Amino acid sequence: MTRLVMNRLLKITIAKCKSTLRASIYLLCTMSLLCSVNVSAADFWSLNWFEKDAPIEVTVNDAFINVHNAPGRGYPIFHVVERGETITLLKMHTDWIKIKTARGIEGWIKRKDVLLTLGPDGVAPEFADSTQADYLADRFELGAAFGDFDGANSFNVNLGYRFTKNLSTEIRLAQNTGQYSDSQILAIAILHQPFPEWRVSPFIGIGAGTLKTMPSATLVQTEDREDQLLQASLGAYIHITGRFFLRAEYVNDYVLTSRNTNQEVNEWKLGFNIFF
Amino acid sequence: METRVQHILLAASLLSALTCFSAPVFAADEKEKNNDDGELGKIITPDIERRHIKEADLDTEDFEVGLYTGMLNVEDFGSNMVAGVSFSYHITEDFFVQANYGTSKTEKTSYELLSGGVELLTKEQRDLSYYNISLGYDLLPGQVYLSEKWHFNTSVYLIAGAGNTHFADKDYFTYNLGAGFKFYATDWLMLDLSMRNYSFEHELFGVTKKINNPESRLGISLFF
Repeated sequence: MTRLVMNRLLKITIAKCKSTLRASIYLLCTMSLLCSVNVSAADFWSLNWFEKDAPIEVTVNDAFINVHNAPGRGYPIFHVVERGETITLLKMHTDWIKIKTARGIEGWIKRKDVLLTLGPDGVAPEFADSTQADYLADRFELGAAFGDFDGANSFNVNLGYRFTKNLSTEIRLAQNTGQYSDSQILAIAILHQPFPEWRVSPFIGIGAGTLKTMPSATLVQTEDREDQLLQASLGAYIHITGRFFLRAEYVNDYVLTSRNTNQEVNEWKLGFNIFF
Repeated sequence: METRVQHILLAASLLSALTCFSAPVFAADEKEKNNDDGELGKIITPDIERRHIKEADLDTEDFEVGLYTGMLNVEDFGSNMVAGVSFSYHITEDFFVQANYGTSKTEKTSYELLSGGVELLTKEQRDLSYYNISLGYDLLPGQVYLSEKWHFNTSVYLIAGAGNTHFADKDYFTYNLGAGFKFYATDWLMLDLSMRNYSFEHELFGVTKKINNPESRLGISLFF
């Protein structure tokens, strides 16, 4: 009986998955979520959600570390913590860490100075070096770009995920506003970066999506139309600092119209991307 | 095919169930091992977990969410109250990116008022909303000293970006440029007084016209 029910359920699920792409993406997301939750049953029930985290205490392992009175390079150094002194790490804001000394003095130290301390296990805390190389794999990226789409102004947002240091995938959303018509693009693309460690790193990409065109209402009475779209792009990531990259891109859009001829559109854009 | 899928799924669920429930068993085994040394073992190996510190253990406060309100002047269409939300991410101590969404209403043009009956736009068309993504730069970080005990961090910043303005049933690509003053009441609460200028082109009067729309605003933001 149970076997029958399960069989039935499975069949329904499979049929649904086959019918819509959205469902399969949804399934994939849930699966990856399930995989990422790494808590065993016993741990889960013993978790106390409202418990305060144990303070993160480290011991200074250098002659001294400067303590600034605010998170910025120009703010005055008002205190110094010396070798052997235990400090508590409170929080991080950009490249600065707020600390508290044993005597209760609070201030900010540079993020990289935490490498000059030792944790309770006698090892320096594990803080990634904020260089370009650290943002090349297993990272999400979020970006915005502005540019020109066949004479129209375009506003783009992209959300990507980098599988390896060479390969990434992204979802692109664009709103193009022109004199005679507005359009929106929703596309998914795969990008390849042959030389990811270069400061100016070129990339190539291919994508596909839909283009929705809305002619201006003030013109002739025309209907909105939706067309399929293929994209080929060429561009470069330019590393500025830490997780911040500039991105310049040329996209060749091939619009598969319902008319007799397909349309080719050139798109240029410049923007920035942030890695998480 | 379907039975194969079924088998795979069943095997996967069995496996995950096994790993979930076997973890505490292993933990118990380890505890027993430690007890093997007897009383002496307890004295020599203290029951303290040597914690290894990773970057992820530390709370970061790089995101900022804010509400703002102020006055937006739309050229030819009067000055009105504007309200909006902003979401920022602080990339470094100097740079931040900010997404804004704001709404406002506009008034009748002088021509509509003087001519009497002429209506250029309907009531709905007079509503205005905009969004943009901008890049900010903390140009002058500083501090203010209000008394012997109180000092606050401040910053004068520049910001520029682009987005779209929805007005009169149409979207207009809009550039924005501005400057402002941030006042950090605490590490996580910030007051923001700023000016922005939104600039776009429209053809509402028959000819293309580039307009500038200044906005002055006061906002409050939380860092998280």
